[in-house]
Amino acid sequence: MNHKNKISRRRFITGSSAFAVGLTLNPFKLFANSENNLNFYNWDDYIGENTLSDFADQTGIRTKMDFFADNDELFSKLREGNPGYDIIVPSDIYVEKMIKAGMLDKIDHEKIPNMTNIDRNFLNPVFDPSRAYSVPYMWGTVGIGYNIARVKGKPNSWSSLYESEKYSSNISLLSEATTVIGIGLKYLGYSLNSTNIKEYKEVEELLIEQKKHIKVFAEDNGQDLLASGEVVLAQEFNGDVAQLMLEDSNISYIVPNEGSIIWEDCLCIPKDAPNKENAHKFIDYLLGAKTGADLADYIQYATPNKEAKDLMGLDYIKNPAIFPTDEIIKVCENQIYLGEEIGQVIQDSWTRILAS
Amino acid sequence: MRKIKLIRSPIEYARNKYLKTITYSFLVILYLPIINLIFFSFNDSKRNIVWRGFTTKYYEKMFDNQILFDAFSNSLTIAFISTVISTILGLSTAICLWKFNFYLKKYYDLALIFPIVIPEICLGVSMLVFFNFISWPNFQIWPLSLSSIIIAHVSFIFPFVAIIIRSRLSILNNEILESGTDLGATNFQIIKFIIIPFLKPAIIASFLFAFTLSLDDFVVTFFTSGPNSVTLPVKIYSMVRFGITPEINAVSTLLLLIIIISTYFVIKFLTKKNRAFIK
Amino acid sequence: MANSWSVKNKLFIFLLVPGLAWLLFFFILPLIIIFSMSFGQKIDIIGVEYSWSLHNYIRAFDGIYFITLFKSVIISSITTLLCLLVAVPVVLYISFSSTRMKSILLISIMLPLWTNLLIRTYSLIAILRTKGHINSSLEFLWDSSNHLFNFLNLANYNIFSNSFTPLNLIYNNFAIILGLFYIYIPFMIIPIYLVLERFDRNLLEASYDLGANHIHTFFKIILPIISPAIISGIILVFIPCLGTFIIPDLLGGADSQMIGNIIERQFKSANDWPFGSSLSFLLIYMTIIIFAVRYIYTKLYSKLHIRMDI
Repeated sequence: MNHKNKISRRRFITGSSAFAVGLTLNPFKLFANSENNLNFYNWDDYIGENTLSDFADQTGIRTKMDFFADNDELFSKLREGNPGYDIIVPSDIYVEKMIKAGMLDKIDHEKIPNMTNIDRNFLNPVFDPSRAYSVPYMWGTVGIGYNIARVKGKPNSWSSLYESEKYSSNISLLSEATTVIGIGLKYLGYSLNSTNIKEYKEVEELLIEQKKHIKVFAEDNGQDLLASGEVVLAQEFNGDVAQLMLEDSNISYIVPNEGSIIWEDCLCIPKDAPNKENAHKFIDYLLGAKTGADLADYIQYATPNKEAKDLMGLDYIKNPAIFPTDEIIKVCENQIYLGEEIGQVIQDSWTRILAS
Repeated sequence: MRKIKLIRSPIEYARNKYLKTITYSFLVILYLPIINLIFFSFNDSKRNIVWRGFTTKYYEKMFDNQILFDAFSNSLTIAFISTVISTILGLSTAICLWKFNFYLKKYYDLALIFPIVIPEICLGVSMLVFFNFISWPNFQIWPLSLSSIIIAHVSFIFPFVAIIIRSRLSILNNEILESGTDLGATNFQIIKFIIIPFLKPAIIASFLFAFTLSLDDFVVTFFTSGPNSVTLPVKIYSMVRFGITPEINAVSTLLLLIIIISTYFVIKFLTKKNRAFIK
Repeated sequence: MANSWSVKNKLFIFLLVPGLAWLLFFFILPLIIIFSMSFGQKIDIIGVEYSWSLHNYIRAFDGIYFITLFKSVIISSITTLLCLLVAVPVVLYISFSSTRMKSILLISIMLPLWTNLLIRTYSLIAILRTKGHINSSLEFLWDSSNHLFNFLNLANYNIFSNSFTPLNLIYNNFAIILGLFYIYIPFMIIPIYLVLERFDRNLLEASYDLGANHIHTFFKIILPIISPAIISGIILVFIPCLGTFIIPDLLGGADSQMIGNIIERQFKSANDWPFGSSLSFLLIYMTIIIFAVRYIYTKLYSKLHIRMDI
């Protein structure tokens, strides 16, 4: 009785699965592996809308972009060898770590004439002297994003996050151990890059004490908490808050008086990159004045490219959430890589803070 | 006329008030996030956290987004291939463990649980180190570039399949198997004509499960993916920094719609055929 | 009688080899590499020295990791229990429904699985947060009641205070348990359903005919038969919950660290892969111990049984 039924059912299922397989086996991909390629490993949405297509039009190089969510992911993925990326975008400490671990290739400055567009202040950073391995891409600060309506005055001290119960259960900090503890050090008046274990102990006790007032340690989405009204004060990267400020006029950003971290994202070429020539061409292209201006306009982060900055409007240059004032820059520091022992002290400290 | 009281059989659990309320409240709770997801696909806000207005522009953007389409097709391909392999492996393992008693059986039983026990990130890292250790080649041609991801997925999915199928096997009546042997069937025939049809719902269920496990997997995929093998969950996870745009909600809504429509037609098609034969 | 077939034939090899070979080569082998790494030590930034020392395990026995492990076990147990308490009634309802309703209900339960985990969790956040749907609706009801009472001139009785304090539903352990419940409930429902679907109704009818009530029938008849499925469900829910880190990351508050988070951090920001491996292996050792205990228990139980028969 069911014999005929079985055949047609089977045929139907095979037919539909063949259709599904055909749908997924995108025929264009099978022929897409052409010669002139570039594998770009980047943060999501960290490139202009038309940058890659314009680059393809100009040079004929097809760029394929993959995404990672944070520096640790990038580092752990590349640790055991480069799976085939030509350009990566690590942040400052990670650039230094990768250099020390031998994971990066030297950049040939002869192939990047547009390097002259970069502001002089960025040409000799402490984590990569004379820019042997990296090229600056974007930079910024870490500060406090806050809700103007619900916060009295301007929160210009880290105490509102680190040592105050005024906004209990309505504050959030970042979840990266080095960042939170580093800023704790700045708040207590120590150097961001301290190697004094006693100072780290002080910060640990401070945070354990403050933990009951902290709602959450937000992993890169403190601005979401601000937007939804979940918290009124959030420790966040400036660009994230700046993007939120475009949509929500109730939000503002400030870098507290005790100072903060100046971070920098850089373009690097990992070891064993398959398309080194194209990588250099791409870096040179990104450093162009017009391209830099397009990038800055779309991403809304601070650009180290002074030619690009000159092309931007005043609302970008004068935006305190993008460019910090000179007084602020004076009290801020770059984070440097402190070695593995201090790293372990920080991580163990963080585990204790979270478990308390 | 006296009112005739309907006596309900106690076995009709589907009429039981308590079970009914529990089931339907559970379904309501289950669907609240889904309804929210669909609504917010029409939100006019890049960050998609607070409702800021109605728009369908993200549906249009979604169709233009080549990267999203690539990630989606990668995810589907990986899911399909790893599901097929996992189901075959899980099925054979489950039947083997259920029927045979062999020397190191209890250790194999235990070892089968390990892929579920081990934290995903540890599994991802171990696959990363392993592939480097044996110098697994970095294929550049498209389907093979996904090979490391597929292998890693199968490794942690097929134990799930094995466990689900074994739970179904636990209720298989042995008398049916005995009658099969009595009627002269070989062991192979018993499997083909008795056990596998009996397992059909379990196979379908584990196929669907394995598919979603693979489709949703982020951690292991991240560590075993090479360049140009972005999958949808990896892409979504990397969007957390700058906001998960409503495009992703739009993609999810569309996928749900496709599944609902195709299952409707499949069920209608199958039951129609059945009805024709009952007549 | 289940394990009755002889192992000396081709069929056995044919069934055994694919799964075993895959497990050995693509899982056990990588696991051995990580196992040896857990006895190793981290040198420099990315170097690992395979020194075969117990250094990492000694470090793991620090109180803090055990406290977190204990907490994770509690959260996972509550989640598993919740899944069980919801799954059994739901499956009973579904398996006794009409064929049409059965398919519809089953598909409805599986359908949410097809949306991405992260998006679903974000939607959950949108529902649970301070200004989310639940709290907004409650606030709306609160205010309406207040207006109603004002209108009816009952304001003097001050039944509802003027300001509404929102429920604290997120960034705490409650949200983590709810989030885990959402993800893992299908893993509990499916094994139990697969067994209940073929359940012999005659047993139930016999039980009711002989005068048992619902509860008695359930515990004496239904439960023993579906217990293998319940065990499968528990394995598929409890164990992954232990190692989870994404849900505590997204839904947890300042003190919601689970052992999965600690392990994740070792492999990422702490960059201490040997230590992370040793912590992961602690979970595996725990599982081995539980299985060993269960095996010894069943052996003893059957020995006792035989003695009692004699």
